[in-house]
Amino acid sequence: MAQLLQALATGLLTGTVYALLGAGFSLIWGVAHVINIVHPALAVGAAYAVYLLAAHGVDPLASLAVVVPLFFLVGVGFHEGVIRPAARRGGDLVLVSMVLTFGLAAALENVLAAVWGPGPRVVNVAYTGRAVQLGGLALPITHLAGAGLAAVTIAALYLFLHRTFPGKAVRAVWQNPEGAALCAINLRQVTSLTYGLAIASAGVAGVALALIYSFSPASHLMWLVFVFLVVIVGGVGSLVGAVVAGMLVGALTNLSTLVIPFAWAPFLLFASLGILLLLRPTGLFRR
Amino acid sequence: MRRAVAAGLVAALLILPWVGTGEYPLALLYSTFMYAAVAVAWNVIGGFAGYLSFGHAAFFGLGGYTTGFFLVRAGLSPFLTAPLGAAVAAVFAALAGYPCLRLRGPYFAVVTMILGLAVRAVVLNLPWTGAAEGLWMTLPPWEPLVARRAFYYAMLAVALVTALAGRAVRLGKMGVGLEAIREDEEAAQSIGVPVVRLKMSALILSAGLTGLVGGIYAYDRSYIHPDFMFDLHLSVLAVLMALLGGRQSWAGPILGAVVVRLVDELLTVRVGTEAARIIFGLGLALVIVLLPEGLLPHLERLRRRAPRPPAAVPAAEARP
Repeated sequence: MAQLLQALATGLLTGTVYALLGAGFSLIWGVAHVINIVHPALAVGAAYAVYLLAAHGVDPLASLAVVVPLFFLVGVGFHEGVIRPAARRGGDLVLVSMVLTFGLAAALENVLAAVWGPGPRVVNVAYTGRAVQLGGLALPITHLAGAGLAAVTIAALYLFLHRTFPGKAVRAVWQNPEGAALCAINLRQVTSLTYGLAIASAGVAGVALALIYSFSPASHLMWLVFVFLVVIVGGVGSLVGAVVAGMLVGALTNLSTLVIPFAWAPFLLFASLGILLLLRPTGLFRR
Repeated sequence: MRRAVAAGLVAALLILPWVGTGEYPLALLYSTFMYAAVAVAWNVIGGFAGYLSFGHAAFFGLGGYTTGFFLVRAGLSPFLTAPLGAAVAAVFAALAGYPCLRLRGPYFAVVTMILGLAVRAVVLNLPWTGAAEGLWMTLPPWEPLVARRAFYYAMLAVALVTALAGRAVRLGKMGVGLEAIREDEEAAQSIGVPVVRLKMSALILSAGLTGLVGGIYAYDRSYIHPDFMFDLHLSVLAVLMALLGGRQSWAGPILGAVVVRLVDELLTVRVGTEAARIIFGLGLALVIVLLPEGLLPHLERLRRRAPRPPAAVPAAEARP
């Protein structure tokens, strides 16, 4: 029982990070109708940035000061420099964006592999391996920090989208682009802003995951599975859905390791994704 | 005319190993045949039907592992194991394909990618596949040059079979049906196109051909490991080659494969594997943006614009 609770608790903590990763992916999908396969790969890039900075004595939490603005700019640049020109050429944007970002993800993976090698890396900080005791539960500080980062970022995203004017414009564009344009909302600015925020949130998620897990250039594929599960369970474009789905996915993954060997844990994910899609071929929440 | 060129090309490829060619050009052509076959096979489902698969490495790896398994554990001849690999990949596609093909667009693409990861993970965890140590096969008892010739012919045969299959699909009734599915699946369904059956047949054919290629590749390497038998890079290349050449036609992927293979060879020799992979990832992104139709339609337009050769003798006079 204690073991069960322990697994559940750490699972929920990591689940919030998956939720964050999924939320950004889902935002781009919802607002821009782009399937951003490079999203988790960018998060892996952020994890390597943390690794690089940590080697120079910079705490992962401090590295956010570099990662967040940098990734925001990457997001805006990605929209202005890559997606917009691609969209202007016409064609099926969903298909074009998928192939495009699939290629970029493969390229980024190999850039990381060329610099750091294909093997796994771990970020070690002063509080790695320490835990906070809460009743019978031992909550690793790294997990708490990662979950905290994710929770703060998701809350900030939520407040931005629901309480500020630019945020409401983003939601308006998502729900009805033509209507939003008629209300003098600048579609291009709003979309760029969405990309900036989504990619910045991928950066934060990468920092959080670097605290919790080891990572390698190819880990973005596994993270993509998580992201996809979160979006399918939570619904495209829904922040609240992403949070619930992320925690569910995190808890399920962690609990499964109690019953089946660790190496087989991804299967539960693959299988649950398969069953989900069988039941709901276009995702759980059809709009 | 076209037929004569094709026959001449095939004849030249058939006699090439006997005109004093060394191992290197044979190996280069062998891998070109291999990628051409994978690209043509990918195109049957990815191009004709528009179901973008990012997981063809799974079929390739299954074919390779079937060969490895039956060679090592049962001592079967590679002439049997490669077709067995094709069968295993096809059966797998039939089982996994039904739920996958109910998905559209991004869902299908991502799920096929995940399918590739899942198969790789299974193989890494099962003891009888050699798991993370990989699997060694006994080398064929031939001199290096003889072996190169043998694999050259085997892969050439597979590439020809695949190209003919792709051509038959594209020019036949099935190709029309698949095109209808790509353009508008609901409309195709409503006018009586057997959508599910066509999609399934296309995927099974595509997977089987890819598995066949994997089987021969595995025996040639004589050592297999999930890292390269289920490599995402193969899926990237398959998509890149088909898109670059042109996915509306059966021959487009062959053109794409030849271009990609030559560039790949140059890059790998000059700048190394990782840099080559970076360039191919970016190349895929560029191709879909700049050349969404692929090279072939542009070449055909060029050919049509070029001045025609002097008018041939009128048909009536040419008759004896």
